[in-house]
Amino acid sequence: MPDAVSAHSAAPKPTPTPPKAFAPEDEAALREALKRCSPSTFEAAVQYRRTGNPEHVPAVVIGVIERFVEPDLRTKLKDADDDLRLIEDLGIDSLTMMEIVILVEDVLQMSINNDELRNLRTVGDVKTFIDCKIRGLPLPKPTKFIPIEHVAAVMPVQPPFLFLNEASVSSTAANGKYKISGQEFFLQGHFKDNPVMPASIMLEALGQLAVLYLLEGAPTEPGKVVSAQMIFFTGCEGVRAHRVCKPGDILTLSIKPKRMKMPLATFEGSIRVGQEKAVIAEEITLTYGFVEAANAPVAINGATHAEATPEQTASLPSPTPLRAALNA
Amino acid sequence: MPRVFITGLGLVTSIGNDTATVVRNLRDLRHGFESYLPFQKPEIPVKVTGTIKGFTTDSPDQEDWTFPARYKIKRELLRTMAPHGLFAHCAMLQAVEDAQLADADISNPQTGLYAASGGSPYLTAYHHERLHKLGVMRCSPLGIVASIVGTLNFNLVAGFKIQGSSCGFSSACASSAHAIGFAFDDISLGRQHRMFVVGGEDGNLDAILPFAGMRTLSLQTDPNLASRPFDAGRDGFVGTGGGAVLVLESEEEVARRGVKPYAEVLGWGQASDGYNVAISHPEGSGSAAAMSNALRAARVSPAEVNYVNAHATSTLIGDISEAKALRTVFQESLPRVAVSSTKALTGHGLSLAGAMESAFCALALRDGFIPGCAHLANVAPECQALNLPRATENRQASIVMKNSSGFGGANVALLFKQIG
Repeated sequence: MPDAVSAHSAAPKPTPTPPKAFAPEDEAALREALKRCSPSTFEAAVQYRRTGNPEHVPAVVIGVIERFVEPDLRTKLKDADDDLRLIEDLGIDSLTMMEIVILVEDVLQMSINNDELRNLRTVGDVKTFIDCKIRGLPLPKPTKFIPIEHVAAVMPVQPPFLFLNEASVSSTAANGKYKISGQEFFLQGHFKDNPVMPASIMLEALGQLAVLYLLEGAPTEPGKVVSAQMIFFTGCEGVRAHRVCKPGDILTLSIKPKRMKMPLATFEGSIRVGQEKAVIAEEITLTYGFVEAANAPVAINGATHAEATPEQTASLPSPTPLRAALNA
Repeated sequence: MPRVFITGLGLVTSIGNDTATVVRNLRDLRHGFESYLPFQKPEIPVKVTGTIKGFTTDSPDQEDWTFPARYKIKRELLRTMAPHGLFAHCAMLQAVEDAQLADADISNPQTGLYAASGGSPYLTAYHHERLHKLGVMRCSPLGIVASIVGTLNFNLVAGFKIQGSSCGFSSACASSAHAIGFAFDDISLGRQHRMFVVGGEDGNLDAILPFAGMRTLSLQTDPNLASRPFDAGRDGFVGTGGGAVLVLESEEEVARRGVKPYAEVLGWGQASDGYNVAISHPEGSGSAAAMSNALRAARVSPAEVNYVNAHATSTLIGDISEAKALRTVFQESLPRVAVSSTKALTGHGLSLAGAMESAFCALALRDGFIPGCAHLANVAPECQALNLPRATENRQASIVMKNSSGFGGANVALLFKQIG
């Protein structure tokens, strides 16, 4: 099968710019490939293929994703921010993801590896990923999903004062959830016969998410890691509470770094309950510091720190009682 | 041993896409053949097929397909279907409604699904061509599950959230008869309470024309003469596709749900020719053994059988072989057993045939008629001992036999009984 072999070796490699001029027959093929996408998707694809301008890429990618989302979920995509999750919010399974990728590859004339795909969890991940591929930039750190036991393992704060059940951290943001169980010790007194989550504690929860970001998502200097022992609160601005939160409410927390300059990191943060605004913090500022990576206590297991070297793993301190209990 | 009943049917066939239309066409002996457009080329000597009306599936892109508006199918399900997957899915929806099954009756560990199809040569060819042309990594991630043999069970088991037994059968034209047999076993052994049995075939150019090389297809250009089982002038079979679903349930489930079955499945038998990969045994030895095994298993004597829905596909060798097998089994009862092949009306549905024709038997038993032998003008000399009614008989059969035979000399006989 000489044809198959040559076709394979000629498969387009990722390049910063489209490889060849855009001919009329390419436009016809593009129209056919995008026939179930919106006209604006096709237009953006044509513009990209003609000019190589990466600004057109997000419209193409979103247009392709939209085409594979069940019609009743498409409205979500219309008003969505980049945190919209492909699986949970849009019902896109891994096979549909492959359909999306193959169409994007075809339309943008690029190749995407299976390994790279695994890390794409949100619409923002996909946009950033494609953009980096097109510009030939290094790919961003993937969004990491951190389950409750790993949150507790990595954080300097511990129960009963830890207000994150789960979190996801990327290089540009962190998101978390906390369900007010009603068993929180302070609810006995706040208030009398009327348990209400203190706004100060909600601000604390946002601060904790920012700590998690610094430990798991923030860019570091080579050979160094952020020390869990060196992160402290310094200040906050523009904090407003909009909604009373009570046992049973699930707080959806998100923070985004605004400025990072050693030793200060400033974040904006918000908490929602469902679609309702609960708390806004225009600025939360933490102080932090680096330690040598080799000396850092890596108090988390290999599942979250896949990059941990065998030496690091060997130097793991014995698990804390909490971790041992959680792993039991 | 729990008794087993047929409680629901779904049909997408060349002679109708619902049971009422099918019954009418079986009674009136109206065939479903047409000059099939993709065959109307000088280099293709075959011209006629049993076409499926109301569906268009002549695109490798499932979203181009059209089907009756009463069926709502999400893209998520449609994208992994072969054409026959669509036919069978629609037949499933009919059968579910017909048997009055709630969601919980379908998705539970006691309900399974057996399916039979030859896969989709059409989609296989399309995806393989892309593989060679565009490279391995540009192949559709869903091409495999939409095309290979097994696509029917993959899609239906996942799509209808089946939790019980599931399996695909591939004994060519005996496949879905085998599936009914083993579904019967599962219920009568107490392993399952309910089984869906599904047959499906694309029935398009890629599914049918490969048989031309074997010289088994009729070259007749007149749709009224192309399929003539047991006729001296027969010259091969006419291909068809579609989807057929039978719901089989245990006696206990029938009683619990209070539904009225079409018929009882009495038992089945199978046997192999041990003779040739594609040619039936000249004396019909495997077919005769399958019928005898079925009669013995169901404790039925040949004299009790009123009607045989024959496998007879209108091929030169196959019809004679089955006629001889019938003579061997029924002996002195032969003149009293009405025999017809409804392939004279539908064409040969390959893997679909057993399930589709068993559904016809269930309809005949419920409505009290025996389909006649359509298009039979001059009975072939070797078949003259058979009782071949030319017209549909308006009489109630008590026990009906359904024969199916497939490549490799596989033979299945199923026995059904009237209710009441």
